[in-house]
Amino acid sequence: MSHKPYKSYKSSHANPWVVLGLSVLLAATMVVSCMFGAVDISWDEIVWRSPIFWQLRLPRVLMGALVGAVLSVCGAAYQSIFRNPLTDPYVLGVSSGASLGAAVAILLGLEAWLWGVGGMALAMALLTVLVIYKIASIGNRMHTTTLLLTGVCLTLLISAVISFLMVLNQEKMDSIIFWTMGSFGSSSWTDVWMLLPMAAIGIGVVLWYSRDLNLLLSGSEAAQSMGCEVEKVKRVLLLFTTLMVAFAVSSCGVIGFVGLIVPHAVRLLAGPDNRKVVPYSILCGAIFVLVCDTLARTLLRPSELPVGSLTSMVGAPLFIYLLYKNKKGY
Amino acid sequence: MIDLEHIQVSYGKHEILHDICATIASRRITAVMGPNGCGKTTLLRCIGGLLEPTAGKVTIDGQEVGSYSAKALAQKVAFVRQQVHTDFEFSAFETVLMGRNPYQKRLQNESQADWDIVEQCMRQTGTWHLRLAKSHEMSGGELQRVMIARALAQQTPVLLMDEPVSNLDIAHQLEIMRLLRTTDKSVVIVIHDLNLALQFCDDLLLIHNGNLLFHGPIAQGLTTENISMVYGVKSHMAEGRIIYDY
Repeated sequence: MSHKPYKSYKSSHANPWVVLGLSVLLAATMVVSCMFGAVDISWDEIVWRSPIFWQLRLPRVLMGALVGAVLSVCGAAYQSIFRNPLTDPYVLGVSSGASLGAAVAILLGLEAWLWGVGGMALAMALLTVLVIYKIASIGNRMHTTTLLLTGVCLTLLISAVISFLMVLNQEKMDSIIFWTMGSFGSSSWTDVWMLLPMAAIGIGVVLWYSRDLNLLLSGSEAAQSMGCEVEKVKRVLLLFTTLMVAFAVSSCGVIGFVGLIVPHAVRLLAGPDNRKVVPYSILCGAIFVLVCDTLARTLLRPSELPVGSLTSMVGAPLFIYLLYKNKKGY
Repeated sequence: MIDLEHIQVSYGKHEILHDICATIASRRITAVMGPNGCGKTTLLRCIGGLLEPTAGKVTIDGQEVGSYSAKALAQKVAFVRQQVHTDFEFSAFETVLMGRNPYQKRLQNESQADWDIVEQCMRQTGTWHLRLAKSHEMSGGELQRVMIARALAQQTPVLLMDEPVSNLDIAHQLEIMRLLRTTDKSVVIVIHDLNLALQFCDDLLLIHNGNLLFHGPIAQGLTTENISMVYGVKSHMAEGRIIYDY
């Protein structure tokens, strides 16, 4: 056993210097991200109120940061709740559930109503979580394979339903396709003001319960006998994380694997303690999605890649690697 | 003091425990014994407030288990279960530190006192040298001792243990049992080794088909007749030890 200094394993809360450093990095990424796009904006124009900057670029950058933070924090929470490092809102099919809700809302013409799309997305996402959670709570410890297969099957089922809806309603196909491939291309200030309060409350809730997330990793009964109100904590966390995912998806579509990649990378560097993983993931997730979105709109200028395809190209191989490592066992 | 009043547990039509009444004395080691699947773990879960009995009630220090808040109960009762590995890599030190949760406010950092208690509990269980080891770097026995350290760190008057020594080698079995003897906790322990129980435990709850067959001093309960009835194994006593006939 190595002999690290005593202090090195005593710090359990987030290091304020790391948080500060990541915040500065996030701010810098936002500024750089604002400058690049189909049209590059110079620093002067940012200051001099270029309409591209104020009406298109800034809300898009803010949405990228918010969605990145939200998906990462939800990934971290899901991984503890389901005691499985391979889960996130995308893998479990919750994001797809939300996109189905959004598609149904569009077909029913609920777009005009402010909370129509978000509300339907939330309802369908909650339904998906409920199904997953019911299956996950059969028996004492859930098998990774069962959980992941359930998620994959739900995703397949949902995309089949979405295809079905699209064929029936060909005139609205384009706006539905948008939800299945995440993009910040149409982000507006309305999206920012819709998501911001949800994100603030949801992230606050996850931070508040971050120590309970550690306890949940020991299993429900162990957590309970260490004084964690397991059922309440799980219910509150699942509700608020699903709320965040639903609103993120209803404004920018399904962006895959963010919630898997970011907490995993953070854990590699900072260890498994959720009191660090959660706050660091918020900031790193925002940075990660911003970088991906900047690349998505600059790589093939003037056309744009869906940002979801970029995150999946990074995330899917990592997922397979983790699955492989997991299967080898310890 | 733990009071079991007419505890009955059923899953659907299947009755696991039938009308168990017992008063478990404080500061004694009580062995819960009986064949596999006879309801030992179920009884332990009832005492620990993890399972609500279908009928009857469990009280600890005069208060019903279900009426304690989660944290208050976790300051009364600690639970060591048969151990599983997790995929998340907490060090042994961090794992034991979780046992301090019932005493901490949310968002509050651990104090020096918490760290000192953790160190003391890890030294007691002989796991201090493993403090930086991750769960998958430890053997089953080492992990089990870390879990016992975590339960000790909860500083509870009651300690429930579900087969804590089953996958330990004999030296570590003895070490854990000796450790239990030195604490002044009320220990309720599910244990399979009859002779180990006879040597280290004070009382016995002998369960047979969901019924409480015997409750009292262990030397009076582990008779050749009871062993034959409960386990279907013939045995005789020699020099205070149980010798199995085969």
